[in-house]
Amino acid sequence: MPELRKDPVIGRWVIIATERARRPGVFLDSQKNTFEEAACAFCDNKDKEIFSIRAYSGAPWRVRVVESGTPLLSSHGKFSRHGHGLYDVVNDYGAHEVVIETPEHIANMADLTQEQIRMVFETYAVRYNELNKNTNFQYVIAYKNYGWAAGSRRIGHSRSQIIATSVNPFSAKEKLAGAKKYYNYRERCLYCDMIQQELDAKVRIIAETEHFVAMTPFAPRFVFEIWILPKKHNCDFAKGVVGQEHDLAGLMKIVLTKIKIGLDDPAYNYVIHSAPFRHGETGAKWKTLAEDYHWHIEVLPRLTRVAGFERGSGFYISSIPPESVAEFLREVKING
Amino acid sequence: MAEVRRDPIIGRWVIVEGREKSLGPAQYEKELHVSKQAAICQFCNDRESQTPPEVDAIRPGAYAPNTVGWQARVVPNKFPALRIEGELNRRGVGLYDMTNGIGAHEIVIETPDHLKNFADYSVAEAVQVIKLFQNRSASLARDKRFKYIMIFKNYGQSAGASVEHAHSQIIALPMVPKYVAEELEGAQKYYDFRGRCVFCDMIEQEYQDKRRIITSNDGFVSFCPFVPRYPFESWIFPKEHTVDFVTMGDKEREQLAGILKDVLLRMKICLSDPSYNFYLHVMPVGYENPQSYHWHIEIVPQLTRVAGFEWGTGFYVVRTAPSVAAEYLRGATQ
Repeated sequence: MPELRKDPVIGRWVIIATERARRPGVFLDSQKNTFEEAACAFCDNKDKEIFSIRAYSGAPWRVRVVESGTPLLSSHGKFSRHGHGLYDVVNDYGAHEVVIETPEHIANMADLTQEQIRMVFETYAVRYNELNKNTNFQYVIAYKNYGWAAGSRRIGHSRSQIIATSVNPFSAKEKLAGAKKYYNYRERCLYCDMIQQELDAKVRIIAETEHFVAMTPFAPRFVFEIWILPKKHNCDFAKGVVGQEHDLAGLMKIVLTKIKIGLDDPAYNYVIHSAPFRHGETGAKWKTLAEDYHWHIEVLPRLTRVAGFERGSGFYISSIPPESVAEFLREVKING
Repeated sequence: MAEVRRDPIIGRWVIVEGREKSLGPAQYEKELHVSKQAAICQFCNDRESQTPPEVDAIRPGAYAPNTVGWQARVVPNKFPALRIEGELNRRGVGLYDMTNGIGAHEIVIETPDHLKNFADYSVAEAVQVIKLFQNRSASLARDKRFKYIMIFKNYGQSAGASVEHAHSQIIALPMVPKYVAEELEGAQKYYDFRGRCVFCDMIEQEYQDKRRIITSNDGFVSFCPFVPRYPFESWIFPKEHTVDFVTMGDKEREQLAGILKDVLLRMKICLSDPSYNFYLHVMPVGYENPQSYHWHIEIVPQLTRVAGFEWGTGFYVVRTAPSVAAEYLRGATQ
């Protein structure tokens, strides 16, 4: 019997339709992430550097942040808003940066060392704090597209992106509103309660470290969707991650290696969800934010296509229950 | 210059490329629809026994159900996402909510012809498909367990179609889906504030602006929305607020059939036969605020892959300005 499950944060219902696993053509053809291996623009990168990690001044870079060559948004002009009849419009003010995660030509973050991944998280935190100084920015998101089906171009060099926007994106608003509603009712953080329940139940846990837990969500949008949550409450990624970068990098490497081995190197996205910038504001909108919101990472392997039903309804269909996914991933053996 | 635009109904922000840098149809990857299936399949004429027994059909002659002679038929899905048997049973698991998966999942086989698809239909053929959408909506709405009837179509592999033979789908749900609920709420808020339907106002503004209009007839208008989620996204609205989808009569049905196949044909010509989805956004069963909602069809061709930024933020990036898309679609005629 299929089940309908409700996401506890934003209230999205999803269908866990196990019988559809037999349906032909559910999974994409085994995704071989083929890359165009001509001169790589990231190996010997000459773009204008925004930030880098080096062993000492003048040493070769180990992680490097540059402006995107094809920016979606830019902060060269001035921020402006205008109306157009019943529509609201703002200009393309924002920031779009590329994080080159390693000087080596390695495609998948799963194959970087834990220390290298640690430096990537440290870099994100530095950029969050720096972008927070611009009071026109309301939200920053760090994310990765790996593989063609995840929206990446065919580039075999591990990298991720950071975008700062002058408005709060829709999904962030939904998550914030859901978490706040729960907090208003129970005076506790929804994510803290969820982590507690998941650690007790164990069925959806994939792996756990001192500071973090990796689990499949109760009501996933995608098959093999994974959430990584910090055990210690903090609404901000850049503040919460301090001192825990190494631990987080270790868990991220485990998760990415498990999906690489278990799912034959699939395309995937990951996204860091953190609280919006408040710029010193403490009004009603943000009053309980520090207590009610909890930063986290979503890892989304891209194995299925989204079709008309999902696009039109916002209802998602999963053909494997998240409990089976977690069990499968727990059992995937990784070296080291 | 790119702009960040807010959807006036649900409040979603979208990054829309400026006109001068907008991508034209040729700059999107082409998808070849390579046939992987036999030219005769389970949905073809004279294969009726291979599907579950039909629940409705348009069969003009004196043929019996589940035999030849039909022009369009509706059958339950062999691999349903939801099951029709049983009572709805809501329960909690700690802080989570769930129910058993009660619902209906039906397939509308739009034509006996294995090679045809919606863009190629005559108006009369398209009318039959819409008639079946209406019949099934009315019938499923009588089941007290169902709150929403979702009608949609997947055409082509990258739009999620696993069967080539032209078909669309109907799913009856025990709750109102999220996107529709958000639209209903946004539209009601606008109505409370202004006493008018936001979609009527939008249609009026689009008529005055003209740049995003694709085509129209006496009863319906199609335009590219000011705040799309996908490049070349196109919407179809009845011009009159009072036209109801389920009870729509012969005249409106024919007008809708005409404009729907027209827009799909324009996309086929202009975008080299892209994969696409369309879906109907209608009112929930027994909806109490019909003054604030205006049913419509959204058509989304699949030209790009949604990346991490979109999944993570709900912030879509559209590389073709809707006014540019509409210009291409206006010009695409045989």
